[in-house]
Amino acid sequence: MVDYSIDIVIFAPLAPILGVLLFWFIQLLFIQSEKYLLEKIRPKHEPLCRFTNFLGILFQTICHALGYTITKSGISDFFISVDYGRVSPKKERTGIFQWIANAFLFIGPFFIPAFLLLISLIFLKVEGFELLIPSHIIGSEYSFGGQITIFGTSLYNFSEKFFGFLSNIDLLHPGHFGFLLLLIFLGMGIRPSYIGEKKHEKIDMLYDLKNIWLLISFKPLYIIILFIMAYLFFHLTILINQFWYVELFSIFGWLSIISITAIIIADILIILIKTTDEIPGKSRFLPYITVPSSYIIMRIFFFYFPSDFTNIASLLIMILSTIIVTFLLLKYKTKKFNTKTDMKPLRGKDAKEKKGKRRISKKRTY
Amino acid sequence: MPKKKKEKEEFLKNELIEKSLSPHPLSFMKLQSLCLFLIIWGVIIGWLVNFSEYKTLFIGNEWFILLAWGLVLLLVGVITSLILIRWTIFFLYLAVFVGAIALMLWQNWLNKDAAPVFIPFFSVAVSIIGFLIIEVYRRSHQYIITNLRIILLSGFITKTELSIRYDKITVFGKQSVLGQIFNFGTIIPITPSGLGLGSDQTLAAGGLMLGGKRAKLLGLAGGGKEVQTPRSRSSFELHGVHPYREIKNLIEKLVQESVPTAYHQEQVAFQKQQVDLQKQMRDLLKVQTKETGKKPISNAVSSDELDEDEEPEEVIEPEENDVQKQMKELLKKQSELRETEKIKEEFEEEDVKEKS
Repeated sequence: MVDYSIDIVIFAPLAPILGVLLFWFIQLLFIQSEKYLLEKIRPKHEPLCRFTNFLGILFQTICHALGYTITKSGISDFFISVDYGRVSPKKERTGIFQWIANAFLFIGPFFIPAFLLLISLIFLKVEGFELLIPSHIIGSEYSFGGQITIFGTSLYNFSEKFFGFLSNIDLLHPGHFGFLLLLIFLGMGIRPSYIGEKKHEKIDMLYDLKNIWLLISFKPLYIIILFIMAYLFFHLTILINQFWYVELFSIFGWLSIISITAIIIADILIILIKTTDEIPGKSRFLPYITVPSSYIIMRIFFFYFPSDFTNIASLLIMILSTIIVTFLLLKYKTKKFNTKTDMKPLRGKDAKEKKGKRRISKKRTY
Repeated sequence: MPKKKKEKEEFLKNELIEKSLSPHPLSFMKLQSLCLFLIIWGVIIGWLVNFSEYKTLFIGNEWFILLAWGLVLLLVGVITSLILIRWTIFFLYLAVFVGAIALMLWQNWLNKDAAPVFIPFFSVAVSIIGFLIIEVYRRSHQYIITNLRIILLSGFITKTELSIRYDKITVFGKQSVLGQIFNFGTIIPITPSGLGLGSDQTLAAGGLMLGGKRAKLLGLAGGGKEVQTPRSRSSFELHGVHPYREIKNLIEKLVQESVPTAYHQEQVAFQKQQVDLQKQMRDLLKVQTKETGKKPISNAVSSDELDEDEEPEEVIEPEENDVQKQMKELLKKQSELRETEKIKEEFEEEDVKEKS
C-alpha cells in the first residue's frame, strides 16, 4: 500500500508532464534551427524548400483532419498544395470539440511524423520500448522523484537502443535504408508551419508558441479539466499498482527524441547542401558521390575481411570520407580557408622598380 | 532550350517564336515510377533471397523465387491498372515476367541456381531500359509557342504535328504535387471541336435470374454516365512545361490578344463608319467633278515625293488638288441646304399654327 503524502498527491503527476515539456521545448529549438538553415539555402534550392514545405503542410493538414474526425465534426473539404492546406468541418462544433480539433492542429505536427517513425522502429524489431524501474527507487516510485526517475530511465533505455540501431544501421538492408530515408524526409517535415517566401510572413518558433498559448488562454477551464483528468488517471494507476501514467508520457518523450534526431540528421544534410553550394563547378557533386561509393567500398572490403564492426565502421568511414572530400574541395576550389593574403602582388610594379634602390623590409611592405 | 526540329520555311509569314519547350524530366513520373518500382522490388527480392534471414526458404527453389517475384509484380500491375483504369501497366509487367521466364528457360538457368542473381539484375536492367525509353519519348516532344499559334510536335518513329490557333481555344492548366515542387505543369488547349477533352465513364449493371432448376430467365439492367473532362495525350497538350506560371500567362496573353473583345468590336465598328463616310465623300467628289468637267484626283502626290528622274505626267495645281477644301465646300453646301430646308419647315409650321 502506498503512503499518501503531499508529494504524491500534488507533485508526482507533474513530473512526467514537465519532462515531456522539456523535450518538446528542445524539439522546438531544433525546428527553429532547421528553418534557419532552409531559409539560407532557399535561393539556390527552391524545389527542396517547396518539398519540405509540402511535407510540413501535409502533416499539419492531416492532424487537423484527424482532430475533426475524432471530435466527430466530419470533413467537408480537404485541400492541400505546396504552400497551403485547408480542412473544413462538415458541421461547426464549438466548445470542447473545437478546442480539441485546434489542439490537434497546433500540437499534432510535432508528434505525428515521429509516431510514424516509431511504428517503423517496431516493424524493424528495435528494442527499448519496455519500462524499467530502477531498484533504488522501489518504495518511492510514485513520488515526484520516483516518477521523474522512471521517466528518465525509460527515455535513456529507449535512446540507448535507438542510437544503437542508428549507429549500426545497415544501408544495404532495404528496411534500414527505407527507415533512414523516412527519417530524413519526415525530419524535414516535422514543423507545424512553413517558411514564408517573404520575410514579413516568416513564421517562427514564437509564432507557434503564441498559437499554443492562445489555445490555452482561450479556454483555461479545459486545461484545468485536462489536469484533473491527468491527476485522476495517475491516482487510479496507483490504486492498481501500475505505471501506465508514466508510460503514456514516456511515449511522448520517445517521440520527442525521434523528432530531435530526425531534425538533426536533416540539418546535417542541409548543411552539406549549403557547404557544397560554395564549391564551384561540377566538383560540388563529388561529396554526394563519395557518400554511397565509400560505403559500398567499405562493405565490399568487410565482405572479404569480416568484422564485428562492419556496419558502424562502414558508416564512420563514409561520414569521415565525405567530410574530408568536402574539406579538400573547399580548401582547393574556394578561398574559404585562406587566412593570409599573398602580399607580393599587392606590391605592384613600383615596388619592383624600387627594389634595387631601397631596402624593403620583408615583414613590412608599407 | 530544345533542339529546333521545325524548319524555318514551315513557319507562317510574320510568325515569331515566343517559346520553344519540351516536357520537364520529371513530368512523366507516372511512367518512371513503374520502372522505379521494378528496381525497388528487384533489390528487395535480391536481398531477400541472398542476404536476409529468410534466404533459407529459397535455397533450392528456383521456381519459387521466380514465381514470388512475378506474382508480386503482377499483383501490383493489377492494382495500379484498376486505380488508373489503364491495363497497359498490367500487360507491361506481364511482359517483363514472361520475358524473365523465357530467358531463364532458354539459357537453362533454372537448373543452374542462377535465379537469386538473375532476377535482381534482370529487374534493374529492364528498369534502366524503361527509363531510357521514357527519356527518348520525352525528348521526342517539342512545343513551340509562336505569336500566331501553338505547334505541338511529337513522336520518334511516327511524327505527329498539331497546330492550334489562339482564337479557337480555351486554356486548361493542371499541376501535380511534383509539378508544384519543381515548377512545371500541363497546359491543355481545348478547342471547340473537342480536342483536349476526355471522358470519364461510369457504368452500372445488374442481373436477375428467375426460376428454379429448369426455367432460367435472366434479366439485365444497365446504365451509363459520361462526363467530359479536360484530358489529353502528351502529343496534344503542353505536357509538363517549365516554368508553368510563366508559360500559362504567356498563352493566356496571346489568346486574349487574338480574341476580339468588346473594345475591339467597338473599334472595328467605328473604323467601318469612317470608311463609309470616306466612300460617301469620294462619291460626292466624283459628282462635283463631273459637274465642273474636271477629272477627279485620286492620289495627290507632292513634287517632293517624286523621284528626280521621273517627271510628273500631269502638273496639277495645288488648289485643285486640295480634296479637303473641296469636301469642305461640299459640306458647306450641304449644311446650307439643310439650313434653308429647316427655315422653310419652320415657316410652314408657323403658318400652320397661325391658321389653327
